[in-house]
Amino acid sequence: MSSTDGPDLAEAPEERCFLSTAEAAALERELLEDYRFGRQQLVEWCGHASAVAVTKVFPLPALPRKQRTALVVCGPEQNGAVGLACARHLRVFEYEPTIFYPTRSPDPLHRDLTTQCEKMDIPFLSYLPTEVQLINNAYRLVVDAVLGPGVEPAEVGGPCTRALATLKLLSIPLVSLDIPSGTPGWDPETGGDAEDGLRPDVLVSLAAPKRCAGRFSGRHHFVAGRFVPDDVRRKFALRLPGYTGTDCVAAL
Amino acid sequence: MQAWKHGRGKGQPLQRKKVEDCLQLRPRINKPHSGSGGGRRHVSLLKLERARGKDSGSPTRKLRPLGAPCHPQNTSPRSHPLASRPEPHSFLHPGLSFPAGLGRRSELRTFAFAVPCQVFPLPALPRKQRTALVVCGPEQNGAVGLACARHLRVFEYEPTIFYPTRSPDPLHRDLTTQCEKMDIPFLSYLPTEVQLINNAYRLVVDAVLGPGVEPAEVGGPCTRALATLKLLSIPLVSLDIPSGWDPETGGDAEDGLRPDVLVSLAAPKRCAGRFSGRHHFVAGRFVPDDVRRKFALRLPGYTGTDCVAAL
Repeated sequence: MSSTDGPDLAEAPEERCFLSTAEAAALERELLEDYRFGRQQLVEWCGHASAVAVTKVFPLPALPRKQRTALVVCGPEQNGAVGLACARHLRVFEYEPTIFYPTRSPDPLHRDLTTQCEKMDIPFLSYLPTEVQLINNAYRLVVDAVLGPGVEPAEVGGPCTRALATLKLLSIPLVSLDIPSGTPGWDPETGGDAEDGLRPDVLVSLAAPKRCAGRFSGRHHFVAGRFVPDDVRRKFALRLPGYTGTDCVAAL
Repeated sequence: MQAWKHGRGKGQPLQRKKVEDCLQLRPRINKPHSGSGGGRRHVSLLKLERARGKDSGSPTRKLRPLGAPCHPQNTSPRSHPLASRPEPHSFLHPGLSFPAGLGRRSELRTFAFAVPCQVFPLPALPRKQRTALVVCGPEQNGAVGLACARHLRVFEYEPTIFYPTRSPDPLHRDLTTQCEKMDIPFLSYLPTEVQLINNAYRLVVDAVLGPGVEPAEVGGPCTRALATLKLLSIPLVSLDIPSGWDPETGGDAEDGLRPDVLVSLAAPKRCAGRFSGRHHFVAGRFVPDDVRRKFALRLPGYTGTDCVAAL
């Protein structure tokens, strides 16, 4: 269950639950450079954990056969790679993901993940219908893996931005990875103007919740951070929930 | 024959040995919080010391019976629709390799971590019995062992690693760095007195050889370690194939390791047919369906988000 360490409050009186964008980047740098985790490794862990979070909120036995479909919308940055890995894991878990990945990244990791998804028969949409009812009817849920912390909407290209505009009108559940993608919506620090941004039902914070997660008002908030070593967690004075058994996500 | 359950001590007195010589103590750098982390670093030393003190009067030490293992929920194999194809088999020829593109395969295979947790569930283990010794060779199986040890640490077990022949491969080096930074102790040598190991650890993970790796390739310390592991009376978990077994035939079972638990990586190897231990798991959920069909493999179904399945 919870960490076997004693309470850390005596050593870290200012423990908190959220990271700023700069701190999140520093944490990731520490994992990559000091701990020599590979970027692919981190993306795989986050993708796997996101898929597990989806199975917790939308368990397969409760879904009729025709309702196991999921649409995964991926941007060209790291969050998009996490989305591709998440889609592949959903496929392994016997869901039926479809990917919308309009702006392809030339990054080798993205290309490898795309190859894996294609070879595992995951369909890629060539365009996203602007008629949102088509999406509501075809899929049980949508995974938003478009932007991520520190990525400006202008960086990801027109198709992604238009996709986000469509996603705002969804009536099926939306699962956002790390931070809800927004235009101008969710500022990673403040959360932005919630009226204008996406309003996901499920948020999966990767490694640790970002500051804007404080304004999240959906039904489920998970943290996928089991891979963060204890020392790093203490260094950033993070107070995170305990994980159960071999679970890689914990509900907040 | 589950010799480990009843102990194999024959009344030999323990040798008085400096157990701290076994540990390669690392300097602790930039660790503001000592807490139980410091205690954890020295756990193997303390345990070995305590074992010597306790057993001085009773050389034959009865082992505690295992708690009931956590049985996976559904173990009935799923009959694959293509199972009617000629010669579907459950074993993989060790010479066949999966197509590249899965990148760091070792990382994916390390989901074998979950196995010790299923067979030796943490809640059933008293605090002092969460120790595990992971013996790693210099080849890929050793890398899987290092990653497995790191995951065990995350799952609040207390692994110790014996990794005598270091590989210069970057993946091995990165995994070693991660294990060191996560305060997993590395033994500088393995005691030849097997009772010390029996007393200090709850289980041993064998990640020494792997398919296609000859004992001669891994060096003397690993070979000697295998000789010691043959005499273990605590449970042994082998990764992929028991070290020393011929991947095809299983070799001479009299002479080889006899693990209690086998975790087949990707798919069982042919020698797994001769495995006679208590638990056989397959860690192959990452294998895409098409690849599985291409190799005409019949594998069990996985439950939920499990990454291992019991055979």
